[in-house]
Amino acid sequence: MKLLKVGGTLAIAFLITLSAYAHHSAAGIDQTKSVEKEGVVKQFKWANPHSWLEVEVPNGKGGTDVWNLEMNPPSFLVRAGWKSNTVKAGDKIKFTARPFKNGDPGGIFQSVTLADGRTLGQTAGRGGAAPAGGAPAGGTPPATPQTPPK
Amino acid sequence: MSKLCIGRIVTTAVVVFTFLISASDLSAQFQPPGSLGALAPANIAKPRPKAPFDITGAWLHGGTPERFDPPTGFKLTPAAQKHFDAAAKATKEGKIYRNDIGLCWPAGMPIMMTRVWPVAMIQLPTSIFMISELMNSLRIVYLDGRTHTDPDIAVKSFNGESIGRWEGDTLVIETKNFVDEHHWIHDRMGIPASDALHIVERIKMVNEGRRLEIEFALTDPKMWEGTWKMTKTWNRVDDRDIQEVECLPDLNEHMPTVRSTDHVR
Repeated sequence: MKLLKVGGTLAIAFLITLSAYAHHSAAGIDQTKSVEKEGVVKQFKWANPHSWLEVEVPNGKGGTDVWNLEMNPPSFLVRAGWKSNTVKAGDKIKFTARPFKNGDPGGIFQSVTLADGRTLGQTAGRGGAAPAGGAPAGGTPPATPQTPPK
Repeated sequence: MSKLCIGRIVTTAVVVFTFLISASDLSAQFQPPGSLGALAPANIAKPRPKAPFDITGAWLHGGTPERFDPPTGFKLTPAAQKHFDAAAKATKEGKIYRNDIGLCWPAGMPIMMTRVWPVAMIQLPTSIFMISELMNSLRIVYLDGRTHTDPDIAVKSFNGESIGRWEGDTLVIETKNFVDEHHWIHDRMGIPASDALHIVERIKMVNEGRRLEIEFALTDPKMWEGTWKMTKTWNRVDDRDIQEVECLPDLNEHMPTVRSTDHVR
């Protein structure tokens, strides 16, 4: 019985987390792919309703592309272990992201591996991987994972 | 009686008549000079029946779909149908139609109530202040007996003008005076709202004050036939305060999902 209750709670929490993303317009993002890149942080913005990360990534043509990565709001990131100074301009990092379908640099952030070896996602308890779709812009809904359904 | 005296009497009568007319039309937006605002202590202190419940708190929509899906067999007007068809075409092509909310246009009523971010509510005897965390969108529900503003002078808005009253244990809110562009009843299906939108909410507090049930009745004769009804629920969240959440120009410059070329404007 207790197991059923725990399972039910987890299921509801999962659905709520999904609902925070499922509605948004991830048109243009390939939610079936995850790419891994390595580069140097250009900018990290800790802000509502979205944080974002810009990373300069070698493009194989002798130059770099700037990858713009859309992230969850700080309320999510804190629970995933982030602080506003977790990354800063000049840091060398690896990251995973859901990329654009058309091959342009950029996409929905999934996880980062820092120079000290730590890997951080953007939602708590989801193995460092962000849900497909990421968070929508202006209308982006960051639900409050700390507020389970009553 | 002199002509001058008669003139003064007539002038006074006109002034008094005008005052009485305006005083009987205490509209929400343009109240006559001297009338009391919702936060005026003298207004708050007026004797009124005790409210059946206090909605003060933070509320998070949940357990029901975020969007306001139209009922089975719904029929749109030609004005709405063209948006609906364009949205369907965009969706079929893997694109997104308009995406006004993503571009920082206010979600507006009724979506501002369900857009996942919590809504903080503060109830006074004269009014309820509702602030959605998303873009800190403000909605004021007046409970002090005023009426809706004449639509010919009202400043139209995304959240509209809300006037509430108590019917037994139910709070009934009527909202109108909406903008007629960039405002959607269903932003994914491409169902727009017009300035003829009229929303009636019937709010009940259940589960020992932990849950709100709101029945929505949506009417917009410029966009669809009949009245659409749906009921949604909110849960009280006591461990959460809302924050400042602005939709700023530089935000969208850094949002791949907004900059995507797969948007149909």
